[in-house]
Amino acid sequence: MSGLEQLQYLSWLLYIVVFVLVLVRTIRRPTPAHVDMTLFFGVVATVIVSTTLTSKVRLNLAWVADVVTPSAAIALGYLLLRLVRDFAHVPRLVMLAVEVGMLASIAAVVLTPRPLSVELVLGLVVYLVLVIAYDAWAFTRHAWRTRGVTRRRMQAAASGSLCLDLVLVVAGVGVAVPSLPPAWNELGAALGLASGACYFVAFAPPTWLRRAWQEPEVVAFLTSVTSLARLPDIRDVVQELEHGAAAALGAPAARIALWHADTRRLQVFSDGKRVPLPYLPRAWLEQRATLVVSAAEQAPPDAALFDAHGARTVISAPITAYGKRLGLLSVYAPQAPVFANSDLELIQLLADQAAVALENRALIDEAAQVRAREEATRLKEDFLSSAAHDLKTPLTGIVTQAQVLRRRAERDPAAPPDRLGLDRLLEQSHRLKTLVLELLDVSRLEHGSLIGERQEVDLAALVRALIRQNATLWNRVHLHAEDPVLASVDVPRFEQVVSNLVENALKYSPHQAPVSVTIWREPGNARLSVRDEGIGIPSEDQALVFERFHRARNVDDRRFAGMGLGLYIARGIVEQHGGKIWVESAPGMGSTFQVAVPFVSRT
Amino acid sequence: MTEQPILVVDDDPTILATVSEALDLEGFPVVTATNGAEALDVLDRIPPSLVLLDMRMPVLDGWGFMHAIRERELSLKVVVMTAAADANRWGREIGAQAVLAKPFELDELLGAVQRLLPT
Repeated sequence: MSGLEQLQYLSWLLYIVVFVLVLVRTIRRPTPAHVDMTLFFGVVATVIVSTTLTSKVRLNLAWVADVVTPSAAIALGYLLLRLVRDFAHVPRLVMLAVEVGMLASIAAVVLTPRPLSVELVLGLVVYLVLVIAYDAWAFTRHAWRTRGVTRRRMQAAASGSLCLDLVLVVAGVGVAVPSLPPAWNELGAALGLASGACYFVAFAPPTWLRRAWQEPEVVAFLTSVTSLARLPDIRDVVQELEHGAAAALGAPAARIALWHADTRRLQVFSDGKRVPLPYLPRAWLEQRATLVVSAAEQAPPDAALFDAHGARTVISAPITAYGKRLGLLSVYAPQAPVFANSDLELIQLLADQAAVALENRALIDEAAQVRAREEATRLKEDFLSSAAHDLKTPLTGIVTQAQVLRRRAERDPAAPPDRLGLDRLLEQSHRLKTLVLELLDVSRLEHGSLIGERQEVDLAALVRALIRQNATLWNRVHLHAEDPVLASVDVPRFEQVVSNLVENALKYSPHQAPVSVTIWREPGNARLSVRDEGIGIPSEDQALVFERFHRARNVDDRRFAGMGLGLYIARGIVEQHGGKIWVESAPGMGSTFQVAVPFVSRT
Repeated sequence: MTEQPILVVDDDPTILATVSEALDLEGFPVVTATNGAEALDVLDRIPPSLVLLDMRMPVLDGWGFMHAIRERELSLKVVVMTAAADANRWGREIGAQAVLAKPFELDELLGAVQRLLPT
């Protein structure tokens, strides 16, 4: 047997083996893609068998040599195009043109009397070369659009088609130029063997090869899982897991549906663009990895959902950690032949790793919640203890002073009233009253119910009236307002803000220094500012003065008694009006408190 | 009755005035200070028979004052007046002879003073 014959037999054997493998798989799982593969390799096998019978065994079967072999060979290009269509999109027009070309070619071969002219043979070869070149190009293009194992399979299919095309070119040249050296035929045989090998790994890859092709993406997935739990948002964790799982299985998309125990539903994160995709109820109910090759196998409502999402094939595995059902990982592909049965083990492995990442993420969240609760409790305790401390001080004054007054009166009933003592008693009572009202405001503020009914008022008129009411104490306060500035506010609460800012300004500035209140409008906002020429606020304290119980560090507690709740309440009132409050200041340079309230919001 | 005055230390002017008035009414001589540092100045000039001491004060607080007293190895009778929740523990920790938890009654104040200053 010559070397050429050995090569030929080897490639024939290979094609027949692939045909048998594909045939067995199709009998087990007769999907359209498997049928197409069987047809393609079946026709190749037919060409091989008929050629062998007529040329090697020299059986005199004219109809086989004249009709079967050439027709089968011509059909190859079309059948390969059907395989392309199983993986990727093929325009209808291309499909139609190839079908018409095939029928015309077969008709020409069958109807033309023997021997066929060289021109006709070359014409048929050119038709086939063009169709298979298109197939090779389509596989290549699809390889670029896919990833992982699917990309490698598409690359193999493209290489196989290229080799097959070259086989035809070599044969065509052989027909046109009869006096070529024998090595020319050996080249054709070698290319035939190569195309057989490529198609073998592309369309019927053995499990070990699939695994080897999947390995880089699987390793990348496993490597990323450990660090994923640290991502700030659980949606990012889920998205990364989905991305990694899809890549590992060579599919375009994957979704993780999380089990919500409270609603007893599987839910996919939905942010407008990402809609919930159908899942495999069997995978969830039976808690095992499941592959559905064709959406048509599903019950009607599910089948429609699959179809609507272009998900023809779905492989799913339950995500379970320590017996706790966390969710379901589903990987989708628009083409049926992307997944194999061996992928069931792989997706379960990926789902188990996803469970680790999600469980870690849940533990991190839980720890953060515990910390936040502890912090909230601590803040509440701090608040209560500060409030209690500040209430006890005036209360001490009141209790002791009242008892002193009484003792005095008992000892000397005729003595004149102790005016100084009575004044102290009143002063401390007022202080206590202010504190109690402030505490009530804080409580309302924290329940979000500080603001009552709003009405549209002129802020300039509001402040002018306040200055008139407090004429004696506010004699240093000057109002600058040119026009009426309308805003929709809760009047008593807004007066409280203005009073608080003005009283702070008076308290923290020297006795004769003026305090200016300015009111104006800017686009969208009514504006108010209160400016003093007082001690100012260090920049590090400027944001903190609006916090509970914070007083700037340059404030002498003894001179400026108060709980440090006034500005906290003022900020709450302004913010519940949809506005903003801030301060501009420097130590020794005075302070300007700024308020901005949206003009009229009728919500 | 001793000639030495009672030193009252508190940053709140009303409490300072009220407590002073109450002691004065019972015939105790009184000197006042509004923080620990002022109190140390007063000590140097007029040794008191007893100190009524607030804890939370600016400049030098009650703890700082007691620390300074120990450093100077002075032996002073001290009554702590505090609004803190754990007043008694604080009083023990700084070695006070008595603790008055604010708000206190006049009788508690005078009772503590009379117990520590036998006539």
